[in-house]
Amino acid sequence: MDKQIIFLVVLLLTLLAFAYTIRRYIGYFKHTRKGFPVKQLGRRFGIMMEVAIGQTKIFRRPVMGLLHALVFWGFLVILIGSIEMIVDGLFGTERVLSFLGEFYSFIMASGDIFALIIAVAILVFLFRRVFLHVKRFSGIEMKHISHLDANVALTLILLLMLSLLGMNTFYIQSATRAGHELVGLFPVSNLLSSWIDAGDYSEFWHQFNWWAHIGLIFVFANYLPYSKHFHVFLSVPNVFLSRLEPLGKVDIMESITKEVKIMMDPDQAFASPQEGAEAEAEVPERFGIMDVEDVSWKNYFDSLACTECGRCTAVCPANITGKKLSPRKVVMDVRARMKEKGPGLVKNGKEYSDNKALLRDYISEEELWACTLCNACAQECPININHPSIILGMRRYLVMEESAAPGELNAIFSNIENNGAPWQFAQDDRMLWTEGKVEVPLMSDMLAKGETPEYLLWVGSAGAFDDRYKQVSVAFTKVLNHLGVSYAVLGTEESSSGDVARRAGNEMLFQMQAMMNIEILNGYEVKRIITCDPHAFNTLKNEYPDLGGEYEVIHHTQFLRDQMSEGKLSLNGGSLAGKKITFHDPCYLGRANGEYRAPRVVLEALGTSVEMKRNKSFALCCGAGGGQMFKEAEKGEKEVFIERTEEALETGANIIATACPYCMVMMTDGLKYKNKEQEISNYDIAELVALSLEL
Amino acid sequence: MRILVCISNVPDTTTKVKFSTDQKSFDDGGVQWIINPWDELALTRAMELKEDASNPVSNVTVVTVGSASAEPTLRKALAIGADDAIRVDAVSSDAYFVAAQLAAVAGSGDFGIILCGIESSDYNGSSVGGMISEIMGIPSVSAVSGLKLEGEEVVITRDIDGGREELSVPAPFVGVVQKGIAKEPRIAAMRGIMMARKKPLQVVPAADAESYTSYKEFAMPEPKAPCKMVEADNVKELVNLLQNEAKVL
Repeated sequence: MDKQIIFLVVLLLTLLAFAYTIRRYIGYFKHTRKGFPVKQLGRRFGIMMEVAIGQTKIFRRPVMGLLHALVFWGFLVILIGSIEMIVDGLFGTERVLSFLGEFYSFIMASGDIFALIIAVAILVFLFRRVFLHVKRFSGIEMKHISHLDANVALTLILLLMLSLLGMNTFYIQSATRAGHELVGLFPVSNLLSSWIDAGDYSEFWHQFNWWAHIGLIFVFANYLPYSKHFHVFLSVPNVFLSRLEPLGKVDIMESITKEVKIMMDPDQAFASPQEGAEAEAEVPERFGIMDVEDVSWKNYFDSLACTECGRCTAVCPANITGKKLSPRKVVMDVRARMKEKGPGLVKNGKEYSDNKALLRDYISEEELWACTLCNACAQECPININHPSIILGMRRYLVMEESAAPGELNAIFSNIENNGAPWQFAQDDRMLWTEGKVEVPLMSDMLAKGETPEYLLWVGSAGAFDDRYKQVSVAFTKVLNHLGVSYAVLGTEESSSGDVARRAGNEMLFQMQAMMNIEILNGYEVKRIITCDPHAFNTLKNEYPDLGGEYEVIHHTQFLRDQMSEGKLSLNGGSLAGKKITFHDPCYLGRANGEYRAPRVVLEALGTSVEMKRNKSFALCCGAGGGQMFKEAEKGEKEVFIERTEEALETGANIIATACPYCMVMMTDGLKYKNKEQEISNYDIAELVALSLEL
Repeated sequence: MRILVCISNVPDTTTKVKFSTDQKSFDDGGVQWIINPWDELALTRAMELKEDASNPVSNVTVVTVGSASAEPTLRKALAIGADDAIRVDAVSSDAYFVAAQLAAVAGSGDFGIILCGIESSDYNGSSVGGMISEIMGIPSVSAVSGLKLEGEEVVITRDIDGGREELSVPAPFVGVVQKGIAKEPRIAAMRGIMMARKKPLQVVPAADAESYTSYKEFAMPEPKAPCKMVEADNVKELVNLLQNEAKVL
């Protein structure tokens, strides 16, 4: 009875302390912005089973992944035993779940084996942290306290496992001495029991380990919420609450949609100022993220669930090439800033200011403008944290509240606004690329003739104006003509898709471009769109639906693959036969939209395909995404495109194949930088197909 | 101190220039209009001066001479940050006429600094700024590439052959600004565009002024001849083409 009372008191104290902590966090959450609604519970459950319970993403690094998965699965099994201990402690029962019989034995045996496995894994983790200098455990964000926190949590887990094994070992001895029948199976502890004999003290040591184990659980539970190991509680829910959109899709800002509609309506745009309070009430809250109360609840949840493993930073092209950006730091900064400002917000309300902000005091503009929006970090995160949404949110604030983008980006905003392309070329010149090269039907001509083409070909600004990429537009339209495909282009009616404006933070300009383009596309009743540009592909496919543009969008590599599988296009290498080709995955085709196979199917029909070290979802960005194409790279040790070109050169390929205008520019520059442009060529897949067909 | 920035409403630099059939006027159909790039830099510098709290600048006004179709450009200037805007309701005909209108506006307010771009990217007249100062009888400084305030004193930097000069000028004065006055033109932020909707845009009637010049004819430059490529080692062919086709040898 005494034991029960003591246990109850300890349990209540634990729960009280825990409740206090959770209440604080709930208060902080109240000061975050609304994010996406949590729907599609079935799909979420599936993702949770796969990514969290199945640990699929942690296996992207197989060795450490296996160790982590064993620890995780072990925890799940041991958790059953811990629940039993709490029931036993409260009600004075002994091994209350033993009525489960064989299954109970199975659980106990598994828990006993897992305890040893976890202990060993933890020793490996500790050894790695203390003695090996693993690069991803360092970085400007990894302060002494971060390392200490990790080691304290690991030590606690080790003690938990040792006490569990001790409890089992002495339980065996004590029960055997008392002549009781053993309940449950304990393979590891049986072995230990044959080595250690506590004699008369076996029951004492059993009790001691029992209390030590449950006490450690209580301590651990209350330590976690203040540690990066809050992860233990939050990672499974965090995966359940994952963002369900494709990685490449940027969420729409509805407050901007409202404003842009007003701007684009000539009757309302410059209407006389509205009077007084009514007008004031209409001014939307801050655009984008300046401080921690501007992040969504999910961004904050992500930051609490993050265990600072650094896999995101280890794959970040900016970080790899020595730039200041570290996606892990961005997430950690959100948590740290809320820890600093949250109490003031809870106490004084949302007007509270401590004259500091997440932007500039924690995260510098240099970090934000180093991001290529390649989504490698989000792809890599084992618990589906979405780092780019925070980075983009802060860019949005800089651009839309302060117009503080780097000058080169401001220039492309002006160009897109004035002439519909990031470069200074007249809208009227959008068809010059065809002159004397290829016959390309215009949508307006087709309409005049009463014809409706099956496909619209979205040429894109690069396809119309970039000297190198114009050749790709020519090659692909030659292939289309050769296949007799029914298609047309918008010609001078096409305007920038807005992808680059959006990713550089100018949501207003993106929406203006999108609305204009959608009006034209819908006017022609376009149903199916082909494009060579993965950025336009992603934007038209995933982002235009939010503004009323619903189309079936096909990347040209997918189109070519389909033509092959339907038997309309048969390829043999022709002059390319025997050439070694390596494919550089464009981020917005691959990671953003999961298309890795189509380009490879086409290439395999043309030549010998060789893979780079980092390929498919692991592929390194070319360095041009997220507006980087148009600006100087931030300070670093190396340019991303050089790193990627070196990797391509390592394959010994004769041809680097790309499928994106930005990648094309970057890889071509990389070959020039490496003085390899004579020996190795860089072609778009469409050009390779045209070459093999001798078009 | 109040600053007045004179804004010219010009076609976007990528515009395909076309003329009316009688070749006497510019055909503005389908043209995207922008703030004259030099004026945009002047406005950017004016905003920087106002935002620096150590300067006694209280207000930045923008002004243009033009019809109602020029208002979106003025709104853009307001979105960039100007406090208020004035449109002189007249079709600008020549530099003197425009200068007279701007001088009238400048004289009606208590402006310490009047800024104009050194030229406009459409007609490249490069004369309005100097004319304003003549009409108003106040000093002007041309080709200003730096402008700062030291208390009430205006310090101007000009790039001169082989160096730079710094001079002081008493307000009010007209500054005719050159590239370099601001690092990069500022663009309108979303927030600025929303604020601009509520800022005052005053339309004033044109002052009496003559136009002293009129356009007789515009002509397009000759189109560039197509480029002929000659193989690098084919010198004979090159000489042949230069001699017989280009007739330069």
